[in-house]
Amino acid sequence: MSSPHSFRLSGLEKRYPDFTLGPIDLEVEPGSVLAFVGPNGSGKTTTLHCMMDLVRPTSGTIEIAGRPNNGPDPRWKEDVGFVGEVSGWYKGWTVGRNLAFVSQFYPNWSETHANALARRFGLQLNKKVGALSKGNRRKLSLVAALAHRPRVLLFDEPTSGLDPVVRADVLDVLWELLEDGEASIFYSTHVLSDISRLADELVFLREGRILGRHNKEDLLENWRRVTFRLTGQAGSGLSDSESWYSHRVSGADHQLVTSDFEQTAQVLGSLGAENVHANRLTVEEISIEMLKHQHVTGLEATEGSHVATS
Amino acid sequence: MILHLTDVSSEPLHLQIRRQVRALILAGELGEGEGLPSIRGLAKQERVSVITVQRAYDDLERASLIQARRGKGFFVNTISAEGKISMAQQRLEDSLKQVLDAARAEGLSADQIAEVFAALIDPSQDEEAR
Repeated sequence: MSSPHSFRLSGLEKRYPDFTLGPIDLEVEPGSVLAFVGPNGSGKTTTLHCMMDLVRPTSGTIEIAGRPNNGPDPRWKEDVGFVGEVSGWYKGWTVGRNLAFVSQFYPNWSETHANALARRFGLQLNKKVGALSKGNRRKLSLVAALAHRPRVLLFDEPTSGLDPVVRADVLDVLWELLEDGEASIFYSTHVLSDISRLADELVFLREGRILGRHNKEDLLENWRRVTFRLTGQAGSGLSDSESWYSHRVSGADHQLVTSDFEQTAQVLGSLGAENVHANRLTVEEISIEMLKHQHVTGLEATEGSHVATS
Repeated sequence: MILHLTDVSSEPLHLQIRRQVRALILAGELGEGEGLPSIRGLAKQERVSVITVQRAYDDLERASLIQARRGKGFFVNTISAEGKISMAQQRLEDSLKQVLDAARAEGLSADQIAEVFAALIDPSQDEEAR
């Protein structure tokens, strides 16, 4: 069964006494990689748990590969692989026995594929899960999430707390998955350094709401850190802009981060700004600006200081 | 085709890919009609995202350096010798502009800048002058 969407969230909302997630609307096409970026507590895990039907949404619907994830038909689970912070392995059982146990829930499970992945990760099938390191346990979860060749992969901080070598192993496997263009990956993280090369799009989440969904290359293309000088009357002509972040002023010197360099360059040109220097930002820097700062709200408040309210 | 991509550069990955593929084509290392790796293949090979390769290929296609053939992938276009020269000149011009701006900002006159360029292009003249 094929569906134009890998998954679709419509009006997803989950209310807790002290936190509300959503409403969230999100559609993801097959073959794409989305990084779900937000600070701790922004609702990333809740969203993923709703998608896995581990948490019941207060309202809204979720479809995985075209099937609702809360209906009478449990087959949606065959199309999804999930790696989360918590996993339910039997510690007294070996890796092999745990995998064999999980395999019975998946008609498409490939033992060959599972064994190949385990070998690649250096996981010993005859070792007890209780004796595995944190990294190896995460690898086991990854093997279990991939062995039935799902079309939707949901990862909740899959590389957090892992050493760089293991992280590179994990990311390598993800890259290979993407080659045929069928699988899509939705990957939550608060560190972007790992995922930024893999991701096509970034979805920013803060306090339970989606701030924006951006094509990575567009972000890299449009954002700049700009330093410039406004002398005489020119400074008073500068008014705030929606696309400006982290505006610093020291005398006639200004520095800011803009999400729309073309427009900012025009404004600075018309004001006669001097010594204009602009440089690109990394995906990580852009994400931090986006998640940390509010837009500049009036220059008078920023004299000589960071605008870093959130 | 092996590219040399780095995260430790102010040049974004899609521009690195564009520049390097373009150089391979203009230098004739990727010949006319030759196929390029698929978008997903190159993404996997170079460990970059699909959208990064896509953006680079789109740019190369817009510059008529490569051509997409439906269902078959991307191929190097036929580019006349003059075309190659004018593209290379355009690129030289673009990079020289930045160097010129920096030199002017540091107070060099047009003559002084020209002198440096002349010496770099033909080092023997420089020695004669000394």
